[in-house]
Amino acid sequence: MPLLRVRDLSITHVGATHPSPSSVSIDVAPGEVALVLGPSGSGKSTLALALNGLIPQSVPAAVTGSVEVRGRSTAETPVAELSADVAMVFQDPDAQIVTGTLLDEVAFALENLLLPVDEVLSRSEQALRRVGLWDRSGWNPDRLSGGGRQRLAIACAIAMGSPVIVLDEPTANLDAQGIDDVYAALADLVASGDRAIILVEHNLDAAMRFATRAIVLDQQGRLAFDGPVGRVLRENTDELLTMGVWLPAATLAGRMLRERGILPDDAPLPLTPEELAAVLPVGEPVEAADRTADPSLPAPHSGIVSALTSIQPIVRARNLTVKRGRAEILHGIDLDIPAGSLTAVVGANGAGKTTLIQALAGVVPPPRGRVMIDDLDPGRASPRQIASRIGFVFQNPEHQFIAHTVFDELAHGLRLRRVPDAEIADRVGEMLRRFGLEHKAEVHPFMLSGGEKRRLSVGTALITRPGVLALDEPTFGQDRARADELLRLLADLRAEGTTVLIVTHDLQLVADHATHTVILAEGRVHASGPTAELFAADGLFESAGLRLPALHRALNPRLRGILAEAAG
Amino acid sequence: MTAITSPTATVDPYSPGVPAPARLYLNHLNPLAKVAAVLPAIVLLVFVQDLETPLWFIALAYALILSGTRITARTAALLFLAIPLGVALIGFGFSLWVDAAGVDGTAPLLRIGGWTLFTGAVEIGFATALRLASILALALIGGLTTTGPDLVRASIQQLRVPYRIGYTALAAYRFVPRFGYELSVIRAAHRVRGHHGGGGPFARLARGWGYIVPLLAGAIRHAERVALAMDARAFGAHPTRTERHLVPFRTRDIVFIAAFIAASALIFALTFPWAPA
Repeated sequence: MPLLRVRDLSITHVGATHPSPSSVSIDVAPGEVALVLGPSGSGKSTLALALNGLIPQSVPAAVTGSVEVRGRSTAETPVAELSADVAMVFQDPDAQIVTGTLLDEVAFALENLLLPVDEVLSRSEQALRRVGLWDRSGWNPDRLSGGGRQRLAIACAIAMGSPVIVLDEPTANLDAQGIDDVYAALADLVASGDRAIILVEHNLDAAMRFATRAIVLDQQGRLAFDGPVGRVLRENTDELLTMGVWLPAATLAGRMLRERGILPDDAPLPLTPEELAAVLPVGEPVEAADRTADPSLPAPHSGIVSALTSIQPIVRARNLTVKRGRAEILHGIDLDIPAGSLTAVVGANGAGKTTLIQALAGVVPPPRGRVMIDDLDPGRASPRQIASRIGFVFQNPEHQFIAHTVFDELAHGLRLRRVPDAEIADRVGEMLRRFGLEHKAEVHPFMLSGGEKRRLSVGTALITRPGVLALDEPTFGQDRARADELLRLLADLRAEGTTVLIVTHDLQLVADHATHTVILAEGRVHASGPTAELFAADGLFESAGLRLPALHRALNPRLRGILAEAAG
Repeated sequence: MTAITSPTATVDPYSPGVPAPARLYLNHLNPLAKVAAVLPAIVLLVFVQDLETPLWFIALAYALILSGTRITARTAALLFLAIPLGVALIGFGFSLWVDAAGVDGTAPLLRIGGWTLFTGAVEIGFATALRLASILALALIGGLTTTGPDLVRASIQQLRVPYRIGYTALAAYRFVPRFGYELSVIRAAHRVRGHHGGGGPFARLARGWGYIVPLLAGAIRHAERVALAMDARAFGAHPTRTERHLVPFRTRDIVFIAAFIAASALIFALTFPWAPA
């Protein structure tokens, strides 16, 4: 008997017109690691919530078909009882911690199940040891990093001894280090081979190493493909791309090389960076993952900075020092952002990325005379003047909404400038059309979908026609489709002459989209210059405490050069 | 600072507290005993108007705190700086506010031009301030020596509060630092939009109102997620749950309650603040 048996499952959320997932039937056996893939809106997370009965028991929805866990229906068996069979790990590490210490957290579910105290303790210890957190069992979970907290959530799932573990986008809110942490814990769990793991994940690069099966839902929520992960991804690459499913970076790279005739057509597409390195023509795969900065190399900063100055800068910082309270966060930053570029600011946690972009954009006014945006010093200017030079988009669009309709939201910046009503109507109408929000003009901004909110927040920043648009972690916690939509939008803006400045922790995004990159380390500019040059330099990102994308780590600079050439 | 690092809690409601040696007896009492012991005195103090009674209770509370628990720099600052300062501020503040017509029979203390500060006004002001301070000091007996989880556990174990309520309240503590952080981001975002509207109290009120919608939207979503995570971990599966930490109610707790109430009665008997003047 399969552990998990799903038959003809259709789920329609309250207010939705059609079900997603729709008529899905799958069986999952012990030892399987099933990746659930699909575009945004295909019902991946909904499917995950149905597997332990949270849908329909905690989240009301119309459900037809059946889900059985070890022969018990998830519609009728209480969630609490099912939890012994199906454990869940959710996306937001903050939203699944309820107690004050790591030990209490792991024990929480066991105590709810009324296990005797000594068993609670022995199982909790085992689970914490397994994810490498036992020596911190008395800590408040707040002291852990995001990756650490997700590992704790995995320990909670392990402790319950459930034969099925469902993980719903467990790494979407994490930085590269956190993703590695989580996958190290998961790989260990997979190795034991006695559980079934259902993984909803868009970061395929890390998952590819141990996934055994891919279950793909299409835009309508129907089962599109189901089979061994290698076969599904290799044989349906084009269909998957058309559907809007993320593919491993190595597969995308391999596909691009094949199109350019560098990779023979009959060679199988690579799924992992290691496989890619192996199929590249000149490729002796290098132990790149362990390579660290070579101290004998000349300091890369100076040469690269000078390469920049030939282009006219639109944002300039000279000796910019920013204090927050008594602590100095940024120490004497000298920086030029070239006009018309898409410049990414990257750096490890605490390097000062957000502080820098907020100072440049005047969100937190910088000291006078240190920053120039075009011809304006944000240290001396009013918010209104600044807004006509640089637009700022916060990470969570909801935070910056202040009006009751989409129209008023866009009109706000113009009304503050006493623009005549007729012109406001024109310019807002144009913005609504451009961002596909015409039919939403009278809707409350909070009632928009996630993608629409993001577009509106960009629109409000652009309505005053600034030459620079600054965005703080705009793709954080978003799925591929929404991230892609935003990046296309930014590319369009850049084509029209807007300079885009973006803070991100996603180095793959930087490698793929940014023309220029600024690497911060400990409040100083570690390096800055054209993105391709920075990625070509050895050990530059690593020495700033950053982890290169999986693809870059597995390839030596020569192979990366081949890829870059092929892409260019 | 970036979104990846979560807001760190400045106040940790869960901190287990360093295991205290036996001589720090307040830390070893049942949290409910500390509440039950001071409650009668607190209720009666609300109706007290003299200076002497609250002073006695402040002395009693300070004596217990200083002898019965570990005094950190923070508690010392609270006891010997913050509270005396608060008393002085509230005391003088209230004496200015008191209607002079009611106390103009008492001796004048200060005369500025045509305005007189009567000793009667100062007395009333300080009686109020000391009353508040005494209530606070009594509450601190339990407050400084009890952790949030222990109070919840004791409420569940002895008062039979349903554990679903107790533990949900405890989980809600986690929201506080998160909301503080979120509020600061929302304020910065609104400032950038040029949402000023002036500096008066009404403009500030209007601005505050604008923060509520995004804050609430985030809070509700967060609460829903936490609720799902708790459901998924068998919360509420049975009418009771395993308690690893027993918070016993022992003889010493009864002795403490009885002794404290006796001491309270003695103070009230000696000062008898309600005697007709």
